[in-house]
Amino acid sequence: MSITLDQVTKQYQGNPVVNDVSLAVAEGEFFVLLGPSGSGKSTLLRAIAGLTEVDHGRVTLFGRDVTRVSAREREVGFVFQNYALFRHMTVGENIEFALRVRREKAAERVRRRKELLELIGLADMDDRLPTQLSGGQQQRVAVARALAHKPKVLLLDEPFGALDAKIREELRRTIRSVQRELGITTILVTHDQEEAFALGDRLGVMNLGRLLEAGRPTELYSRPATRFVATFLGAANLLLRREARLGPETAGRPRREQEVVAMLRPEEAELAPDRDTLTTSFLGYGHVEEMQFTGALERLRIRMGTEGAERNAPASTMSPVWIDVTRTQPEQRAFPLVPGRLVAVGTRRIHVLPTPLSSFTVCAESREAADRLMANHWLTDLAARMQTRLSAQVEPDLAADAAAPGPAPAGVAVVAAGPGCPNRVRQLLGRGVTPVLCLPEDAEPPARVVVHFAGQVARRATLAMTASLLRHVPAEAVFLGILPSGSPERTRTAGVRQLLDVRSEAQAGHGLDVRTELRLGDRIEELLRELGSQPGQMLVLGLPEAGSLPENFEALLTQSPGWPVLLA
Amino acid sequence: MSSFRQPSVLPGFGLTLGFATFFLSAIVLLPLAALVLKTASMSWADFVAVVLSPRALASYRLSFGASLVAALINTVFGFIVAWTLVRYEFPGRKVLDAMIDMPFALPTAVSGIALTAVFAQNGWIGQYLEPWGIKVAYTWLGVTVALTLIGLPFVVRSVQPSLLEVQRDLEDAAETLGATPLYIFRRIIFPTVLPALASGFTLAFARAIGEYGSVIFIAGNLPMKTEITPLLIVIKLEEFDYNGAAALGFVMLAMSFVMLLSINLVQAWGRRQIVAARR
Repeated sequence: MSITLDQVTKQYQGNPVVNDVSLAVAEGEFFVLLGPSGSGKSTLLRAIAGLTEVDHGRVTLFGRDVTRVSAREREVGFVFQNYALFRHMTVGENIEFALRVRREKAAERVRRRKELLELIGLADMDDRLPTQLSGGQQQRVAVARALAHKPKVLLLDEPFGALDAKIREELRRTIRSVQRELGITTILVTHDQEEAFALGDRLGVMNLGRLLEAGRPTELYSRPATRFVATFLGAANLLLRREARLGPETAGRPRREQEVVAMLRPEEAELAPDRDTLTTSFLGYGHVEEMQFTGALERLRIRMGTEGAERNAPASTMSPVWIDVTRTQPEQRAFPLVPGRLVAVGTRRIHVLPTPLSSFTVCAESREAADRLMANHWLTDLAARMQTRLSAQVEPDLAADAAAPGPAPAGVAVVAAGPGCPNRVRQLLGRGVTPVLCLPEDAEPPARVVVHFAGQVARRATLAMTASLLRHVPAEAVFLGILPSGSPERTRTAGVRQLLDVRSEAQAGHGLDVRTELRLGDRIEELLRELGSQPGQMLVLGLPEAGSLPENFEALLTQSPGWPVLLA
Repeated sequence: MSSFRQPSVLPGFGLTLGFATFFLSAIVLLPLAALVLKTASMSWADFVAVVLSPRALASYRLSFGASLVAALINTVFGFIVAWTLVRYEFPGRKVLDAMIDMPFALPTAVSGIALTAVFAQNGWIGQYLEPWGIKVAYTWLGVTVALTLIGLPFVVRSVQPSLLEVQRDLEDAAETLGATPLYIFRRIIFPTVLPALASGFTLAFARAIGEYGSVIFIAGNLPMKTEITPLLIVIKLEEFDYNGAAALGFVMLAMSFVMLLSINLVQAWGRRQIVAARR
């Protein structure tokens, strides 16, 4: 591996800008870091170059730990968005800068300069001043300058940001060919997904300071794991649908339906006059609401109606109000459309996201209580960020001791924390509802997430939930392992090993990097102490047995002032 | 002529050029012309006697010498002040920034009296310098101090914008290319601010040559020792020797013009050196 990042974290005024990012880039690889502005991608790149110090974690270049090494000694080439050429020097002098610093001989400098100018296609431009060049040419010079000292790593920070579309494409091609020719390990930062697809051998998508997913472009496009990646890499319709829960039926309990998040790319939708004329699986009926001709493709927005669902009760319940569809020219010719027309929508390919957090349903005893919970700004923010539904379900007997049979709420059930909370949780768990989020009405957005599972049964579910949650919450996370005090040495070693297992499982399964801590003591006491130590924390808790809440866990849900608890 | 014409928000090229010429003539050229005419009415022998008298020569030395030293001091310290103001964020930065302009606004006589009070033998600073045998007030040192005070804002205000222009990215770029902080300063920052620094120097120098109010209080005005040329002119005027005053004024004008012109030429040459493609 030529570039290895290990849990790199950078904070500005207490807020993590780069949050526990681990990444390995292979030698000669062109890696593209993609993310919206403010996602921390540029900060991460500067941290690799040594222009920004990291607060935590390690940066390794070709096996050498450079975390505390200055940018001067890291031997990297860096290209800035605004070129950052030295304007009082000629193009040639700019390119020679690194060689002059290193006191190379004049003949060698000239040879290298000619070679680089040739490489970027600006031969004989040595004597120009940067201001006499166009933006695209200036950026070429900046690339040549960054390569002069033969760095082992080339880092590009939005190099095309200030250029117009045509030059952008030309320069993109140059950079790609230069990179191939030199075989230099390269990381490029951009917010443009088209650019990322065109250049990257592999992409990493960042949001809120976290590296959400990394992989080959085609993989990330067709099989994203997160909502953010699904919608950031191209257009996507996110659908909520009910599916039979996978896995074997547990004894005494019926197989239940589960809500999942599915992604439908606009080009994977099919439109037909009627359900029977669809060649793909039927999704529902809808009206053409908007049409846009964009040259090669036609963009449509279909408002999904209820009449279709009534006429042909579909297998899956549809949640979105509208669906975006793109159609190619042949498709348009085969079935011309006008706005307002009723069409049947079919799906060629649907990808189900592996996230356990689909939508939120607030469950409360009264309308008022439900409204109070729904007004919690962290919850509304979270739902908005996840682009999902937030609904309410009123059940007068929810906090009662005896189990009252009721409908299972969809997605994550949200209940108020406090005195009645354990009963509410028990009732919901009894109906097979997981996960459950216990939320104090005045809960603030957490800055730290404590993760703990009380039994191996909940391990996988807890990990998946944590991974899903952290992708939408700008908070640091820590896995807390707790062993009874006075455990023998052997148990303790096993505990540490287990935590490391968890870490690698989170890394392998979810691309999620978390810190781990091991405590000795009573499980509940340790958790209470940890959560009470500072405000702005939340707990993700894996229950020791599926579907039940032990007596001693009640203390975690009834504290005041409390904290959000997400139960798996 | 038409090739100069560029569409502009201001009306008509002819009108604006005419106004500029008229304004410059009325405010600057006419009084100067009057000065030259007045001088021209003297006989050559009279003129030489006035402008080359030992007292006049001593005053030139002090005026131009002290102005040069003051402008050099300002160039160094003005750069440091500007650097501090641009590069660091600290409480009271805005206040300090505003204080830089104080010498602009203060009546120069006030600053002169204040400096004298501070640097006199029993003044706040003067009393500590006294035991070391350093006398500031009523010596050429005092003149230099006064000229430094009034020239500082010129350098700071010239350099500030160009320092703002040295983007952090440039330094970051140089650092990734392997340059040390000293090298970055020498090769990147300094060349970028050099033109601004030179024009700041010129302005401070020009202002110091013409300064009168603040100097006369701290200089002590001993003939042949601490008498600046502007003071000599005023003395001539008080003696109703208008021709002599005009002659001295003319010499100052000529010398300042030559010096400023040469500084500007050197600057322009430097710019061309940079622009001209080497090799």
